[in-house]
Amino acid sequence: MTFREALESGKFVVTAEVGPPKGTDISEMLHHMDLLKGKVDAVNVTDNQSAVMRINSMSVCKLALERGLEPVLQMTCRDRNRIALQSDLLGASILGIRNVLCMTGDHVSAGDHKSAKPVYDIESVQLLQAVEGLNGGRDMAGNELRGATNYFQGAVVTPEANPLEPQLIKFTKKVRAGARFFQTQAIYDVEAFKGFMEHARKHQVKVLAGFVVLKSVGMARFLNNNVPGIRVPEELIGELKAAGKEKALDTGMDITARHIRQLKDEGICDGVHIMAIGMEEKVPEIMSRAGLL
Amino acid sequence: MIITKKKERGKLLESIKDYQSLFLVGCSECASLCGTGGDTELQELKEALEAQGKTVTGTHKAKTGCQVLGTKTELKQYKDALNAADAVIVMSCGAGTQAAVEMFPDKPVYPCNDSLFLGNMTRFQIFDERCSLCGECIIDKTGGICPLTNCPKGLLVGPCGGVKDGKCEVSQDIDCCWVRIYERMKRIGRLDDLMETTLEPKDWAASQKPRAHSAREDKKK
Repeated sequence: MTFREALESGKFVVTAEVGPPKGTDISEMLHHMDLLKGKVDAVNVTDNQSAVMRINSMSVCKLALERGLEPVLQMTCRDRNRIALQSDLLGASILGIRNVLCMTGDHVSAGDHKSAKPVYDIESVQLLQAVEGLNGGRDMAGNELRGATNYFQGAVVTPEANPLEPQLIKFTKKVRAGARFFQTQAIYDVEAFKGFMEHARKHQVKVLAGFVVLKSVGMARFLNNNVPGIRVPEELIGELKAAGKEKALDTGMDITARHIRQLKDEGICDGVHIMAIGMEEKVPEIMSRAGLL
Repeated sequence: MIITKKKERGKLLESIKDYQSLFLVGCSECASLCGTGGDTELQELKEALEAQGKTVTGTHKAKTGCQVLGTKTELKQYKDALNAADAVIVMSCGAGTQAAVEMFPDKPVYPCNDSLFLGNMTRFQIFDERCSLCGECIIDKTGGICPLTNCPKGLLVGPCGGVKDGKCEVSQDIDCCWVRIYERMKRIGRLDDLMETTLEPKDWAASQKPRAHSAREDKKK
């Protein structure tokens, strides 16, 4: 069953993130992919995440396909204009890539090439419109294509943004622009997430809640202070503290598993997206603790 | 107005090291307000150059340095001083400097300033960028606030996920302009417009360089 079929069938889906390395040694990344194979419904391949230059998403998506994993091509508007974006979308399509996640992308000032020229010729909502157009056999200029694409397109949303309403307006615009599924920024407060889902459920879209596993108290504080849209509640930080340094990661994995289990049992959303960031090896264990394996 | 800042003095001296005598041109408009090309700055640069053993054959603060014909007329009175100069230093924006290049086809012309942006003076000599000269104004759709200029990503549809407590992901010193637009639209009772409008991808053909415009032709129409 493909990722799209799984979501449309109502199955509680699981996706995980694969970050391409900086450099041509892909042995570790391939190892992570093999660990995820057969366990997750799809793997997201990030696109120069945090504006740090790495292997491009499309090549790694192709490797994922070859290894029997279904990839989600992450595509940001930061590095390419509308010609390059559409050209890459056609290219990915002929390689057999069927899922695309449309994002605006972190600003270059966050990355390792701070003097680069950011492009942002279009942004996430307009990229979704472009994908919709390519699926319908037309490019953004209205030219007819010799062969259309057949993408299952998604987007991202930050359910805990402050202020939230402008984000919800953009969420609605993404739905209107053709987004079929959403993967969220990491959430740590299931009750607050339920509030967002009440809004999301007004629309015909699938929502996968994002998870970043907490490794330590320090990491939780770092996320709270530095990453927009992430709020780790004090109770969880207290839980990590109580566990002590050595057991913090284990507790972090338990927290994630517990939240995933609750989302699934209560039917709050349609699946989860696990961003392990350097701890890809732990994903199967987390899934197992959440009762997904 | 065009916001300029002085080039590092060392860099300027390095670029004109082969010339002994110089003529300085300032500008009464933007560069004067920016403190980069008014009377004080002309005098300061003159003294600095003379301290380096250079000769300043003359100085002039143009009425509007980018107004080619007017400036040309004003400079007629300095014919001898200009002839005696090996090079001309222009203390205005890049447009003013290139106006001088047009006037002196046989003489080297050097910029003294870096041109930064089109901005508003919010307090004395404090400048903020408000307009990107994109060629087609869209702020009728965004509550009068230009997201193309005020958002580091130039987003036209809404905020990115990087907004934190109303601040921009690029810097906590920047208010997210989409939050500002949202709040303004709410205050003026136009939130529905914001919900309904998804601006088309920007038509960059309207800012294809180099641009030219004839107000005279427009008038005839």
